[in-house]
Amino acid sequence: MSVETPMLHVVAVGSVDDGKSTLIGRLLHDTGHLTTDQIEAVAEASRKRGRKGIDLALLTDGLRAEREQGITIDVAYRSFDANGRRILLGDAPGHVQYTRNMVTAAAGADAAILLVDAKNGTTAQTRRHLAICGMLGVRDVIACVNKIDLVDYDEARFHEIAAELVQSSAAIDGPRITAIPLSALNGVNLTVRSPETPWYEGPTVLDVLHDLDPPVVETAFRMPVQWVVRHDDGERDIRGLAGRIDSGAVTVGDDIVALPSGATSRIARVDVLGDERESATAPLSVTLHLETDIDVSRGDVIALASAPPQVASRLRATVAWLDEQPLTVPARLEARQGARTVPVIVEELHERLELDTMEHIPADVLETNDLGIITLRAAQPMVLEPYGENRAMGSMVLIDPATNRTVAAVMVDQVLAEA
Amino acid sequence: MTTLTELGTLDVLEAEAVHVIRECAAECERPALLFSGGKDSIVLAHLAIKAFAPAGLPFPLMHVDTGHNFPEVIEYRDRYVADIDERLIVASVQDSIDQGRVQDEVGPRSSRNRLQTTTLLDAIAEHRFDACFGGARRDEERSRAKERFFSHRDAFGQWDPRNQRPEPWTIYNTKLRAGEHFRVFPLSNWTEIDIWAYIEQEGLRLPSIYFSHEREIFERDGMLLAAVEEVERYPHETVRVETVRFRTVGDMSCTGSILSTAATVAEVLQETRDSDISERGASRADDKTSEAAMEDRKRNGYF
Ligand SMILES: Nc1nc2c(ncn2[C@@H]2O[C@H](COP(=O)(O)OP(=O)(O)O)[C@@H](O)[C@H]2O)c(=O)[nH]1
Ligand SMILES: [Mg+2]
Repeated sequence: MSVETPMLHVVAVGSVDDGKSTLIGRLLHDTGHLTTDQIEAVAEASRKRGRKGIDLALLTDGLRAEREQGITIDVAYRSFDANGRRILLGDAPGHVQYTRNMVTAAAGADAAILLVDAKNGTTAQTRRHLAICGMLGVRDVIACVNKIDLVDYDEARFHEIAAELVQSSAAIDGPRITAIPLSALNGVNLTVRSPETPWYEGPTVLDVLHDLDPPVVETAFRMPVQWVVRHDDGERDIRGLAGRIDSGAVTVGDDIVALPSGATSRIARVDVLGDERESATAPLSVTLHLETDIDVSRGDVIALASAPPQVASRLRATVAWLDEQPLTVPARLEARQGARTVPVIVEELHERLELDTMEHIPADVLETNDLGIITLRAAQPMVLEPYGENRAMGSMVLIDPATNRTVAAVMVDQVLAEA
Repeated sequence: MTTLTELGTLDVLEAEAVHVIRECAAECERPALLFSGGKDSIVLAHLAIKAFAPAGLPFPLMHVDTGHNFPEVIEYRDRYVADIDERLIVASVQDSIDQGRVQDEVGPRSSRNRLQTTTLLDAIAEHRFDACFGGARRDEERSRAKERFFSHRDAFGQWDPRNQRPEPWTIYNTKLRAGEHFRVFPLSNWTEIDIWAYIEQEGLRLPSIYFSHEREIFERDGMLLAAVEEVERYPHETVRVETVRFRTVGDMSCTGSILSTAATVAEVLQETRDSDISERGASRADDKTSEAAMEDRKRNGYF
């Protein structure tokens, strides 16, 4: 049972200066998403900086420091309506230093727009962003060979870079690649096919955005309980399990199991924010009422009894290390997953991923922005699934209790038996 | 009872907002919902009520009253709070002035907008709030477009936009040290049109100033400000009567109206869809002072 979600998350990624912010500004501009005063403000900011014409990158580079340095530091989000669907566009920073912000923007994205400078070709950072998208399960990558104006709209150069990207993605079993020769600055092949590239007969960036497949929603029903609603209406004591459905759908009469306890019951009522329904689907926020009173509290996961996720306390995972303090093992941290926070130990660090070559290299330390493979042990049983099977049950962040910083994004590769 | 139906954008935005509200209520010790009587905070309060129904809200509402608010809005606020039967805390800029915490500005260009920050931070400290829900949206302003759902504030109430916590997927790090707090923005991904469409869908009532009415106004910097005693005018600023409405609700000294005959939610929705000017461009004098005016205020603890 699947329902189309009318909302897609798309993120612009790639090396510094390859044109991400310009593309987003121009795209919003050319599709009539900017108001007169917003355009005037960007024009004014451009004049102040001595730019010729209007620098549309200044639309999303909204922080003072970003404008001063002409770079993107943190993600900016803009809404975009395409073909009756809402697209949330994230403009990610390209600097290695701000990879944690790129991970923030790319986690949960359905598609990415990857920009490559046609003159410089792909860089280590291009491949790093492609690899991160692959690992995060971003399904589609619109690979834009940008600044094609600077190489005289050279067809051979376009095919060369496109082939490189297709190959890099294939090597990591990464996202589907659609390559487009682009000039974000001049709007070439952005919303209309341009005469400058008569040899290109493929879609524009806007065409691809229009035709993106709907988001993947896994079919197995899972709902972390966020809050237990208690209310005495005078006749009876109501106890509702409030949460957002992460995947699948739930219907009145379904046999469910609460995890990790394993207690079972049946769905009596499905309340979608005041609207009583026969069933509800991801990603709705609901309050579920059960036929029997079982012990359920915040952090527990409600799943269909016939297809439950696993309960375990050891796992093997891919981590993106985001903190300035490097990771060495053993590390005592906290894992935040679903609606639950659990003390964990990073027991082993197996490998680091060399992003440039996608090689796995034995390692005993992960530096900022490194990706690696770890084994994690939790102090309490967790409800887990591999990230590839269920994103919500397979993703978590690690927090250092000493600093309160979010130090890593974690994707579960394998749920392990007790050591 | 209905079965699965096609979802709309509003369904997804609503579910996202409620998820954030419930996370904050569960993880933070003492949240409060910043309620101005403006359309965004009305939508926010409505979502919060839905999130915990049939039980009541697990946190109070708080209004930072500049003393220069539109009387229609204050009237609305008090009636609304009585209707929903929840607790409202009023933090007053006038009190901050009387206590010498801040100094009132004088002259035609004076505004209590900036002063609100001190009143807000004092109230957060006094009530030991560790999270404040706000109705800010990323589409409103370019520094807001950069903000996380859970936006961390240090013990001085400051935002450090260069060092925000990563927020991958929809997993929020809700850890705080003593004295720090979060600003939590459940409506981050909503647009102005979404807000109006939702108001229409849910049949929400709004303060009357959102709809077309006759008002004495004067013009300043291309904005149509209300001609009221609290806002001092230069001699050349002449008063006339126009048919206007407000797109945002804020301090009278810096909130402009627009010429409009839209008298119903449906008409406002249509007008908003057709508009060629952004909400802040149409109505906020406070952002016109400099390019990064909002970012600077936010860094210091503003809403
Ligand atoms: N010639 C040319 N310059 C471009 C194009 N796209 C972007 N640029 C310029 O490249 C520089 C970096 O662009 P920006 O969008 O800030 O890159 P980002 O770091 O990826 O966000 C700016 O000076 C842009 O004007 C293009 O298609 N052609
Ligand atoms: Mg940029």
